[in-house]
Amino acid sequence: MYFPYFITYIVVGLAITLAVFFWALKNGQFRDQQRARYLPLQGDSDTTSPPPSSPFSRIEIYGLFLLAVAGLGASAAVLIFAVIHGGR
Amino acid sequence: MTTGESTQIRTYPTALAFCITSFFWMGVATFMGLLGATFLIAPDLANNVSWLFFGRVRPVHVNMVLFGFVTPGLLATAFYYLPKVLDTELYSEKLGVTTVLLWNVVLVAAVGSLLAGHSQGREYAELVWPVDIGIVIVFLMVFVNMIMTVKHRREPILYVSVWYACAAVVLTSVTFSLGNVIWKPDTGALTGIPDAILLWFYGHNIFGLLLTPLSAGVAYYVIPRVVKSPLYSHTLSLLGFWSLIVIYTHIGTHHLLQVPVPTWLKVISIVDSVAMVIPVMAFLINIWYTAKGKLGAIHEDIGAKFVFTGTIMYFFVSIQGSMMALPVVQRITHFNNWVVAHAHIGVLGFAGMIALGGMYYILPRVSGKPLYSRLLADLQYWMVLIGMIGFTVVLTIVGLIQGNAWYNGETVYRVLPELQYYYVTRAMLGLLIFSSAVIGLYNGVRTLLSKPGEAVS
Repeated sequence: MYFPYFITYIVVGLAITLAVFFWALKNGQFRDQQRARYLPLQGDSDTTSPPPSSPFSRIEIYGLFLLAVAGLGASAAVLIFAVIHGGR
Repeated sequence: MTTGESTQIRTYPTALAFCITSFFWMGVATFMGLLGATFLIAPDLANNVSWLFFGRVRPVHVNMVLFGFVTPGLLATAFYYLPKVLDTELYSEKLGVTTVLLWNVVLVAAVGSLLAGHSQGREYAELVWPVDIGIVIVFLMVFVNMIMTVKHRREPILYVSVWYACAAVVLTSVTFSLGNVIWKPDTGALTGIPDAILLWFYGHNIFGLLLTPLSAGVAYYVIPRVVKSPLYSHTLSLLGFWSLIVIYTHIGTHHLLQVPVPTWLKVISIVDSVAMVIPVMAFLINIWYTAKGKLGAIHEDIGAKFVFTGTIMYFFVSIQGSMMALPVVQRITHFNNWVVAHAHIGVLGFAGMIALGGMYYILPRVSGKPLYSRLLADLQYWMVLIGMIGFTVVLTIVGLIQGNAWYNGETVYRVLPELQYYYVTRAMLGLLIFSSAVIGLYNGVRTLLSKPGEAVS
């Protein structure tokens, strides 16, 4: 018997949804939609510039990059090996 | 537009704590995924190590992606933008940080219990009862913090992101409780087909009513901020929100079209799956029109780059999802790796990308320090993108082979050798994504440990 659970869920869900919807309607949430478009732009001015070049040692970047390339290379080697020899 | 808080420098410990949580657990979750993929090509890899069997590793991967990586990442951004668009302070940073701490305790308990073999054996709902209760509690704590922040707002209108964030938390609290049958602690399940119906009601909604609304909320905030333009249409965004709430709640049964569930339930799930085009396109049209002509600004900002890519993936996964709900399509695509590909586009390509984008957007702002390395962030972006697209291609091919073979009555052992190359590729791509998670964690930690830069606010 799953109907009781679903009926309960549907009824409760519908009741909450309708209650919230009518609350929104009554409180003017659907008015002044033009101003609402600007809401994400309000608040502190975004003075953040794009991230500058990394302050940390270039060697570290190259090291990490090499590690990533080595890992990928090893994976590619496994793949190529599997493709060439896997069927035998 | 100015507000009273414009000169005040805020701190965001809750958002920051969720960021750290997400970066860390992304590493754990993707490692478990890699391990699981490796088991598929080397089943004896962890022979005799019981807690590392595929059957235990796979649920850890799924649950940690869901509750460890993506949800905390999206919540981090939500806890950043909620006070801003509501023009108030977060109700309680103490409650927020406590929530994050408890959240991590629950995650540790989840991993420990699953690896120890304590599972309820239901896909996506494997966690045992005490962990289930822990998850419900942390979601309720998040809800209290959000709703009280809404209550104390100075901005009368609720921006669409607020609707999405609050709805996600409320709906998940209910869906999770119901789907995990928490009133039956011993089994966490009903019996027979009713349990399958309930499980897939939960299984689909935990993505659709948690990750989707949280991701939409982040995109609706980050994209207008970065392109410095108002949202294309707030009315359209509300149409998308309410239609999502109405439609998404019933579509889980499309996972059960080939089993004996009531036909009316199947019909509802199929019709609503196709109708999902409405909220999806309302969201995408809105975001893409907001960004129209300003893709340069999006490319400049690594956070927006992740988020915008996530919206493109949302388009693909949603169209694919609607089509997959059609019985004639599903005969081939269901119960095989096609669905796994679909899930990866949705969770990693859409929600995961937006979670990462949101975190990269807020990290310098909540820490007051510049991002440690844009290069590493870009590297992570490309690794995730290539890995995820690779998954999609490879697993789609595998799914078609499996589906076609099954449809034509082929025996399993004749098909398995055909899949081997693809499974190797899949593991390789898993390594790519795990590596990207490590790079992201490193970049995040080094950002926090670097010298304070110019205060963002």
